[in-house]
Amino acid sequence: MSWLFTTAAELLARASEAGLSVADYLVAREAFYSSASPEATRSEIARRIRITRQSLDAGLARPQRSFSGLTDGAAVKLHDFAAAPGAAAPAVADPLFRLALAYALAVNEVNACGGKIVAVPTAGSSGVVPGVLWAYRDVRRKDLDADSREFQDAFVVASAVGMVIASRATLAGAAGGCQAECGAAAAMAAAGLLCLLGRGGEDCLSGAALSLKNCLGLACDPVAGLVEVPCVKRNAFMAANALTAATLVEAGIRSAIPFDEVVGAMKAIGDSMPAALRESSLGGLATTPTGLACKERIERG
Amino acid sequence: MDDRKIGLFDILGPVMIGPSSSHTAGVARIAFLARRILPGRLDWARVSFYGSLARTYRGHGSDKAAIAGLLGILPEDERLAFAPELAAREGLEVEIKPVYDGPERYHPNTVVLELRSGERKLRVRGASVGGGEILLQSVNGFEAQLDGRLDALLVLHHDEPGVIAHVAALLASAGINIASLASRRKDRGDEALLVAEVDGRVDARLIDSLSSLAAVRQVVHVPSIRS
Repeated sequence: MSWLFTTAAELLARASEAGLSVADYLVAREAFYSSASPEATRSEIARRIRITRQSLDAGLARPQRSFSGLTDGAAVKLHDFAAAPGAAAPAVADPLFRLALAYALAVNEVNACGGKIVAVPTAGSSGVVPGVLWAYRDVRRKDLDADSREFQDAFVVASAVGMVIASRATLAGAAGGCQAECGAAAAMAAAGLLCLLGRGGEDCLSGAALSLKNCLGLACDPVAGLVEVPCVKRNAFMAANALTAATLVEAGIRSAIPFDEVVGAMKAIGDSMPAALRESSLGGLATTPTGLACKERIERG
Repeated sequence: MDDRKIGLFDILGPVMIGPSSSHTAGVARIAFLARRILPGRLDWARVSFYGSLARTYRGHGSDKAAIAGLLGILPEDERLAFAPELAAREGLEVEIKPVYDGPERYHPNTVVLELRSGERKLRVRGASVGGGEILLQSVNGFEAQLDGRLDALLVLHHDEPGVIAHVAALLASAGINIASLASRRKDRGDEALLVAEVDGRVDARLIDSLSSLAAVRQVVHVPSIRS
């Protein structure tokens, strides 16, 4: 059995040759490389999923405030607003949408404040996948056991998308801009959500492609070099991106460009991005008058 | 460096204390791996940050992360945030030094660790290459490529014919598969460092037999930081 793949198309072919679902194939692959049993690998997946929940709950339990002051309890504010009754209730978004945004913010605020998170795929983008998957579970599938294979498989399929992006392009903002971090996270979340909706590999990849296409070229320009502005709020926007992609796929709409080709484009775009927009804080939002003033204030202490 | 492809837990992880996989978790891993090379009580340490780390280490807690790693605290351990206090309690003074004008060839996220434990000294240069992935690129002046995924053996030896063959034969007789092998020497007939990454676990008997080879000066077993 071969464990090598670089494209998503190869991954689907390998899993199919092995007669396994993509999730089971990746669990078997991980077990092979780590010399652990598939059961132990599954328990580790479950442990990591539980940690994403702990981060999320911590971010909603009390307003998260970072030492820089750039992170200031947005998750709690949104969560409270989302639960407001009657006339004060949100006019725009439905409960799943609101909760996904609040959850994504919560996890990433905890990260910004030096709390414990799972970097899925990176710390700066760690709110998107848990935000979308846990919100879907809490709003639409309360019956779904968080330790179940079905829920685990959604995280594994999301990770499969990240694995392909990591091996063919990059997940580092310093190398490929934010398309490589929050963009990758959105594509992962779209695929994971479609997996929870019972869709097969092709549909999951189409969702990932739709999602990633709409993040191409995104700058990584954090204010004062900190993983806060624009990262934290972008986690909420990327959760919305994933929900949009999954909704389009549900309606039978497919990406005109296949996922693997979108990843190729992402790599080419990252390679041609100026260094000022690749996590150097030498351009974009970081060098706006307000961004520079923040930096000065933080550095003065 | 093992050429193994990206694993599931590289993407669904690492589990870590925020805020940055490269500037926090990666830095802790580099220091943790360095301590696998130089274990035991630490008397002195200097942490030099280069590139992006030099400019942003405070905001990312990279200094705390480095100290945590030196104390054997992993990126996911909540004690990471209190590492400086823990170090002070252990009487370990760590000097943090940002270097703004480092060599061009250094990776943008580079950390150099200088450690002293009694008579033993270690100087390593590590790069945090993204998502918490790391690469030790230099060990006591020898070029290396160690990512901490697998167990590794560092064999300091005299540069002469047959050393690599003897080391490989001992590994083979212990039933250990070599995943990667690289040797660098200071000069012809001078000191050389052989770095072997292996599958499975290395035991003390194998270390003893490697150490007893005539040309070998020192053998260090570096257990994987992923297990």
